[in-house]
Amino acid sequence: MEKKRLYIELENCIGCRSCLAACTQCGGHEQKNRNYVYDVNPLVNRQTMPLMCLHCVDPACARSCPAQAIQIHETGAVLSALTEKCIGCQNCTIACPYGIPKFDEEENLMYKCDLCIDRTKDGIPPMCASVCPSNTLQWLTEEEIAEKQQMHDLGNDKWVTSMPYLEGETNVKVNLPGILQGTTKLF
Amino acid sequence: MQRDKFFREIENVRHPNETLVKTHCSYCGMQCGMNLRVDTSTNKIIGVEPRYDWPVTVGKMCPKGVTAYQQTNHDDRILKPLIRDDASLKGTQEGFREASWEEAYDLIAEKFGELQSNYGKDSLSVFSGVSMTNEKCYLTGKFARVGLGTRYIDYNGRFCMSSAAGGFLRSFGVDRGSTLPWTDVHETDCLFIAGSNTAECHPTSMFRVWAVQERGGYLIVADPRETPVARRADVHLDLRPGTDLALANGILHLLIKNGYADEEFVNKHTNGFEETKELVKDFTPETTSMITGVAVEKIERAAEIYGKAPNAIVMFARGIEQQHKGVDNVSGYTNMALVTGKIGRPKAGVATFTGQGNGQGGREHGQKSDLLPGYRKITNPEHVKAVSKVWGIDPEEMPKPGVSAYEMFELMNEKTIRGLYLLCSNPAVSAPNLNVVRKGLKSLDFMVCSDFFLSESAEYADVILPSVTWSEDEGTVTNLEGRIIKINKAQEPIGESKPDWQIQVELAERLGRGKYFSHLKTAKDVAEEFRLASKGGYADYYGATWDKIDKQDGVFWPCKDEDDKGTPHMFLDKKFYHPDGKAKICALPYRPPAEEPDEKYPLRLTTGRVVYHYLSGNQTRRIKFLKDMCPDPYVEVHPVTAAKYGIQHDENIRLFTRRGKAYYKVKITEAIREDTVFVPYHFGHDESINLLTIAALDPISKMPEFKACAAEIEKLDSGKVL
Repeated sequence: MEKKRLYIELENCIGCRSCLAACTQCGGHEQKNRNYVYDVNPLVNRQTMPLMCLHCVDPACARSCPAQAIQIHETGAVLSALTEKCIGCQNCTIACPYGIPKFDEEENLMYKCDLCIDRTKDGIPPMCASVCPSNTLQWLTEEEIAEKQQMHDLGNDKWVTSMPYLEGETNVKVNLPGILQGTTKLF
Repeated sequence: MQRDKFFREIENVRHPNETLVKTHCSYCGMQCGMNLRVDTSTNKIIGVEPRYDWPVTVGKMCPKGVTAYQQTNHDDRILKPLIRDDASLKGTQEGFREASWEEAYDLIAEKFGELQSNYGKDSLSVFSGVSMTNEKCYLTGKFARVGLGTRYIDYNGRFCMSSAAGGFLRSFGVDRGSTLPWTDVHETDCLFIAGSNTAECHPTSMFRVWAVQERGGYLIVADPRETPVARRADVHLDLRPGTDLALANGILHLLIKNGYADEEFVNKHTNGFEETKELVKDFTPETTSMITGVAVEKIERAAEIYGKAPNAIVMFARGIEQQHKGVDNVSGYTNMALVTGKIGRPKAGVATFTGQGNGQGGREHGQKSDLLPGYRKITNPEHVKAVSKVWGIDPEEMPKPGVSAYEMFELMNEKTIRGLYLLCSNPAVSAPNLNVVRKGLKSLDFMVCSDFFLSESAEYADVILPSVTWSEDEGTVTNLEGRIIKINKAQEPIGESKPDWQIQVELAERLGRGKYFSHLKTAKDVAEEFRLASKGGYADYYGATWDKIDKQDGVFWPCKDEDDKGTPHMFLDKKFYHPDGKAKICALPYRPPAEEPDEKYPLRLTTGRVVYHYLSGNQTRRIKFLKDMCPDPYVEVHPVTAAKYGIQHDENIRLFTRRGKAYYKVKITEAIREDTVFVPYHFGHDESINLLTIAALDPISKMPEFKACAAEIEKLDSGKVL
């Protein structure tokens, strides 16, 4: 099975929040969505962007967990805390540089994106990338991601790709807004 | 077929004890493919799984689509017929009691009979919608003409697609919403999108729209607001609401002046070029800019891009169509394709984004006041003869044409119409000038409403009949491409609810008209009769069998017989549907909106959708995720305008026009023109923006001008709703 990754092209986001609706539909998510979509500058324009777990290679959430409740799947997906181990300390929510883990006050448990592990372990795209109407969220092979990198890394001061990585190396790859700057027009 | 670069072979996840039923969404004209997850122990729908192998949408869904399944077993479903004995409670949710189908049918038969014997056949009316299958739409037309024998039938497509229909009929002689399949969209070189908030209203088109730009193609968007699709446009033509025709004429003028007209195409395949050329001469960039408020450079740039593009698609939606010159706007923008010859070949053409699920099919088969199945005219004796034969009636018995949707409410107020059978629509929210509409509903002697949720319109009914959601019945729908697709049944009807076709058959039997209906025992029976009734009409569905639809991933009409694969691309032979085979380039004098701003009402009010809601919101306002995302209406105001009124973000204000008023929270955004305010129309009762909109109707399509009227804001002392 060819390795695929979640790839995010922020410029495409239309703010429909279908990714959040779909997140609740993954069998293992108990109808709670695990990611975010933000209005970037709501009084000015309609730009929006998703904030998804980037599934860090060396995840701060897992490192900060005193109970070792956050496991890393062999695919690289950083899983939601094991409910039997999570002590509800919320260290992970503070440690994550992107503010991803959410906290369920009633259950006293953290929960986060597990990249729809029941799907992605078999190479099936996660729900968010399956439904995303604007192709902001895509499920791509390494080769396709390399092409994207080639296409959008301008090799000058106007770089628009965040590849290889932002804060630390991540399994999810991101292209920041501005991808069209380097496009050669057809006519 | 039509598997393009977005198509991926992906296995669906199959959870234990579940089956997947492939079908399409219940909402807009995109008709996204989806699989409904059905629990095999309870036989109930429990969720959704993407339908990756549907060629148009490849698994993609908007948030409405993802949560659509939550309608089926929703707590608000009406499970039994409801009767209200106290007519003084009309306009409220009070006073309904549960009843048996027997009692409900008896009462309807008695009251309808009384009204027709006292006031004539035409005292009854049918108001329907197009968020239902072709089979239901077809049968509703037959039920009105044969079951009730009334001339008064019309439908909510008058508030949706009728201007597109009128414009295409005039320009092409045929009304198929798109001249090409959606799998062409991303391969064109220029998209010219006018009056479509595509990202919110047809979100699953967006991956194709963005792909045009990724390939180096161009995106031009005409809209008074910088919508999410306009935000990324190469040129955003930020025009004043209601001035589209001037923009279309202005661009056409530049296309001709700068040598982009395709003379060979124009000479061989069109009429009307010379007079149109003369007329648009007045629309210089300066004049066009003065009328539309769009900068001269932007108009020139847009014309240059469209003119140069090897292939281009002109696309539009309600923004240009919901005007009292909606038909002219459609023909005006269509002129661009005809003059430059960018039509009648792959990757080039014209398309409208159909608003309702079956906005295309539902307008073709006889729900419109003057139409019969197969897009036949009720005023054409030959057409009447053909349909009468299928229906087994004497052509003499065929009722005459009725009036358009909004005009029906006026006739209710005049007591010409005294009874109403309403289905699949919620005009107490979606019609314009609601004070008149609601008064009309209230003045009825007897009203029946069929729905699966108790809508704002159902609040005016004497009898409510519980119908089923789309997932509890089967049939065909024609999507925005003109592709006939199949909706499949995933669950048995809950409670005592029934599909509308069954209700009509049973009601016809009660009314003594059973011999024309009793043979229709299944949706498939209706489908077979409907294919036959459309045969020979120009919207010919005869060859679109359910089998073929399944095998081919849908069938594009026209499809005349069993061997015909259908017609994905229209006009490839450059033959249009007017008798001489030519298209019509239309010379269209500009008219301003029916109501222009003045000192008393200085703002331009425009209305539209948000991504989280569908039409009147009767369905989507009940879905938790969608309600959480957009619980209340609001008014979008530019900060400069807000400063003039001294109002702030989140402050409550009074918005009013000559017709009505409502209170809204202010949403400040620079992404709208300073002279324009916007309110979404999905909300009921006192929150309906349609209390304020104007019922200025297009002379051809009878489409009301939802998109432009004059309004004023009043700051409230307290800043709170009174």
